[in-house]
Amino acid sequence: MSGDEVPLDEKARRMRDLLSSFYGPDPSMSPNPPSKFAPFDAINSNSFNADHYLNLLIHKSSLEGLLQRHVGMAAEIKNLDTDLQMLVYENYNKFISATDAIKRMNSNIMGMESNMEQLLEKIKTVQSRSDGVNTSLFEKREHIEKLHLTRNLLRKVQFIYDLPARLGKCIKSEAYADAVRFYTGAMPIFKAYGDSSFQDCKRASEEAIAIIIKNLQGKLFSDSESIQARAEAAMLLKQLDFPVDSLKEKLFEKLEQSLGDLQLKDEDISRCLLMSNDPSKLENHPESVAATVHEASVQEFVEAVRAYRVIFPDSDKQLIKLAQELVTKNFETGEQYGKKRIRAADLLAVLRMIWKEVLQMDEVLHESVLSEFSLEAVQITVKHHVASRFSHLLHDISDALAKVYVGQKEGMEEFPLQVALGASKKAVLQGSMDILLCFYISAALKLGICHLDFRQLLDDDLELLVKLRESILNWVQEGFQDFFRELHGRFLLLSGRNNSSSQVHGVAEGTQGDRILASLVLVLAQLSVFIEQTAIQRITEANKPPFIFMLEIAASFAGGGIRLYENGPAFVPGEICRSFRSAGEKLLHHYINLRNQRISVLLRKRFTTPNWVKHKEPREVHMFVDLLLQELEAIEKEVKQVLPQGLLRRHQRNDSNGSTNSSRSNPLREGKLSRTNTQKARSQLLETHLAKLFKQKVEIFTKVECTQESVITTIVKFSLKSLQEFVRHQTFNRSGFQQIQLDIQYLRTPLKEAAENEAAIDFLIDEVSVAAAERCLDPIPLEQPILDKLIQAKLTKSLSQSAVSS
Amino acid sequence: MQGGSSGIGYGLKYQARCISDVKADTDHTSFLTGTLSLKEENEVHLLRLSSGGTELICEGLFSHPNEIWDLSSCPFDQRIFSTVFSTGESYGAAIWQIPELYGQLNSPQLERIAALDAHVGKINCVLWWSSGRHDKLVSIDEENIFLWSLDCSNKNAQVQSKQSSGMLHYLSGGAWDPHDVNAVAATCESSVQFWDLRSMGKTNSIEHAHVRNVDYDTKKKHLLVTAADESGIHLWDLRMLKAPIQELPGHTHWTWAVCCNPEYDGFILSAGTDSTVNLWLVSTSNHDELPSESLVESPNQRANSLLNSYSDYEDSVYGLAWSSREPWIFASLSYDGRVRNHMLEK
Repeated sequence: MSGDEVPLDEKARRMRDLLSSFYGPDPSMSPNPPSKFAPFDAINSNSFNADHYLNLLIHKSSLEGLLQRHVGMAAEIKNLDTDLQMLVYENYNKFISATDAIKRMNSNIMGMESNMEQLLEKIKTVQSRSDGVNTSLFEKREHIEKLHLTRNLLRKVQFIYDLPARLGKCIKSEAYADAVRFYTGAMPIFKAYGDSSFQDCKRASEEAIAIIIKNLQGKLFSDSESIQARAEAAMLLKQLDFPVDSLKEKLFEKLEQSLGDLQLKDEDISRCLLMSNDPSKLENHPESVAATVHEASVQEFVEAVRAYRVIFPDSDKQLIKLAQELVTKNFETGEQYGKKRIRAADLLAVLRMIWKEVLQMDEVLHESVLSEFSLEAVQITVKHHVASRFSHLLHDISDALAKVYVGQKEGMEEFPLQVALGASKKAVLQGSMDILLCFYISAALKLGICHLDFRQLLDDDLELLVKLRESILNWVQEGFQDFFRELHGRFLLLSGRNNSSSQVHGVAEGTQGDRILASLVLVLAQLSVFIEQTAIQRITEANKPPFIFMLEIAASFAGGGIRLYENGPAFVPGEICRSFRSAGEKLLHHYINLRNQRISVLLRKRFTTPNWVKHKEPREVHMFVDLLLQELEAIEKEVKQVLPQGLLRRHQRNDSNGSTNSSRSNPLREGKLSRTNTQKARSQLLETHLAKLFKQKVEIFTKVECTQESVITTIVKFSLKSLQEFVRHQTFNRSGFQQIQLDIQYLRTPLKEAAENEAAIDFLIDEVSVAAAERCLDPIPLEQPILDKLIQAKLTKSLSQSAVSS
Repeated sequence: MQGGSSGIGYGLKYQARCISDVKADTDHTSFLTGTLSLKEENEVHLLRLSSGGTELICEGLFSHPNEIWDLSSCPFDQRIFSTVFSTGESYGAAIWQIPELYGQLNSPQLERIAALDAHVGKINCVLWWSSGRHDKLVSIDEENIFLWSLDCSNKNAQVQSKQSSGMLHYLSGGAWDPHDVNAVAATCESSVQFWDLRSMGKTNSIEHAHVRNVDYDTKKKHLLVTAADESGIHLWDLRMLKAPIQELPGHTHWTWAVCCNPEYDGFILSAGTDSTVNLWLVSTSNHDELPSESLVESPNQRANSLLNSYSDYEDSVYGLAWSSREPWIFASLSYDGRVRNHMLEK
């Protein structure tokens, strides 16, 4: 049964329905048409059929069920009754109070009408009386008003007539403010009637005002008056419609004039430097007093600006402009100064001087952000300074190198290369040290500024300073980086220019210019080695302390400096070292190449001119040998001036003493070799192959080191190799072959003396003679005695020649 | 890319200077090489790379009357080639044909098609136009440039025109522009001269001393590579001859020969008297690069351009040839008569 299912809901719903049926009269509001959904057990519906319901109930339910139903229904009915009762009671109370209220209203309304009538009568009487008063007073009032107007007018006239006297009194008592007030009060009247009735008055008062204006102007311009008074005067003048702006401009001009005096001049700088350089002399030196003059004038200017600012409070912009102009000009002077070759300390002193001024001005003009402005200016100055230092340095080095040309052309100095190398070395080192010093100083400068600033600047400016320091550090490092890079480029350019010009000269058989260029390349090579090995190391070493120094500062400050390390230093010594090492190697190779080109030219000429197939019998050692040896000698001279000695030199010397004997036995060996060659040219190739296989492979093309021996040995090796190649390109008859044999035999000893690696030289010389034998139609070598004789003849000849020349 | 460290070897009996790729042989990778021996009977070897690429097989061995100073294979007929030879006292140049059916013959003789016998002085080289069938030949001796018209079927070569190089200009070699049938570059002591074969006149020159060898890039027009004795390898743009567009350091001693890869851009081989062959990779696209910049270029870049250095030679390397059929293979010939075949590994 549905009753069992939702007893509570059923009950609540019924309650609501009940109430709504009571208050809401519309039965259609009930949501469910009961006939459809609850035909039988919906007791609340309108169409409830009690009989039908009962019948159904009796039919369907058991006795027990019926009883239960009965009990339930009874309880429900009871509940409904109590609910109904409750409703009735609550509403009943309201009824009672409502009836009470209606009763009271009824009684109150009763007496109201009579009272109203009384009131109407009284109002009517009041109205009639007030009308009477009005009519009686009307005439008199008009009269009084007229009288009152006249009186006011009279008073004003009196005031105007009194005005000149009053102004005079004010002038006497210097109460200009009152005077101005009075005058401005009278102004409208003067304007209206000044030409007619109050002419005299107006004139007199205008005279008085003129005096006042004069006085006020005097006051304004007099420096002795207090600033307050001057400001007041300016204000009063303004009130008097006096053209204050012209006054302002006048004052401003005065300021600008004083600005001209304030600008730093070279004398000031030099004086200041004198001071900073010798602090001990400060007291007794007369000029040091003069230096303070400048400071005093700055002080004056500052005072003037301060006054001006108070007098004309709206003139900040102009003043700031003025001050910035001054600072800019001063910094420009400083910058110009910084571009000259000066010590960093001097620059520092100058900058400090300017900075002091800036601070003084900043005190007066807070809004001008002068300190930041000048910080920027300092930055620029220092940057320019650093840049100019580096360019100077570069210039110095170039000059030193240029001396190579000059020195060689004049031929005055004994060791021009050495001198040039020394000079440029010195230039590099000293220059970079100087720049480092400058870097130190600028760091110190920043510190100094910092200390000065601490008192005046706010915290947020601190970051700016740290940034500034950081950037200076970066500039110096960048400067180094760029400097070395540029130097590197210039080296290469120099050698490159040599390259192109030597090509031009190469055809002209190597003129003097070519030689100079080659030696220049050598100097450059050594210089880059020097830079790589020494200079950069020293710079990095010197760079370190300021680094630590900066770190400490950065840490102690707001920590703005940490960024510096995030970015990483701009100067990367490793990179520079690498590039210079490679440049050094490149230049060295270039030098060797240049030299070999000359030797090649010599050899080419030797080998292309004669017809080797129709060569005549050798009578003497050929001229080219002398040329070759001369060339080698020149190279040796150059190399010895510039390059350092290798460590192995002495050791090798000892060896070479022992092995000269073996070199003498060489001709025999070679002779044997070539004799067998003549018999069996076919097997000769095999033989040489075999010999090469068994021979310890001689390293001909070893790495060139930057030492005298290595370079000379390489050049000798290369020229022998070139010789071999030239020989291979020709075909010889017997005499041609013998000529080569003779020449080579002669060359053997001096070459071995010159070069370091005897085995390689021996090998190469043998190679040349083998090549000559291979390319010979009839390779029969000269007899040993003839060979010896010819060589001896040549030796004595060259000896006597050298004796004559010396 | 890395080059194999040791290639395939083949030994000639005698010393030798020249090797040439047989371009017309489209079925095999073949090379022709000739010996240089004053006193012995010289030979021309036709080498073929075995199908596996593991062996160099001697496909033909022909006797040649004199020592061979220059040899180049005809680009359109694999059986024809030219040589420059010397008796020791005089020079000659000839066009040869490998006989048909030489496999069956016991001692095959080369058939001389034509003798280029108008020369007087020392002959340097005979040039074929590499980009196709062309009935002209150029031969260069020390003083003259000859243009021959060759008729293979009639076995005849006629001098078409001839021009002297001028006083004091001793020519030493040359190359024929594969992009322009009328342009030849000839090297002389102090410069590289460019000749127009129509007018037989010099059109231009590079003033650069001691150029030993020149090669045109077959892929890129206007690109010329030169090798000079001491100053290494230079790349030139033919439109701007004032300065090289790029420089390579070349070899420790002289750089003897250069060779542009016929297929792959920027691969350049060079052979030197320091017994090595170097393989370079250059980017030639940046033609606008200023020469001064290339001078200042960092050493890393320079080192990078050297891909590999083949050093398994005992003597100076004079002969160098890319295979046009398999352009990742090249043959090199050192003076001691040893041919080495190398293969680039990708």
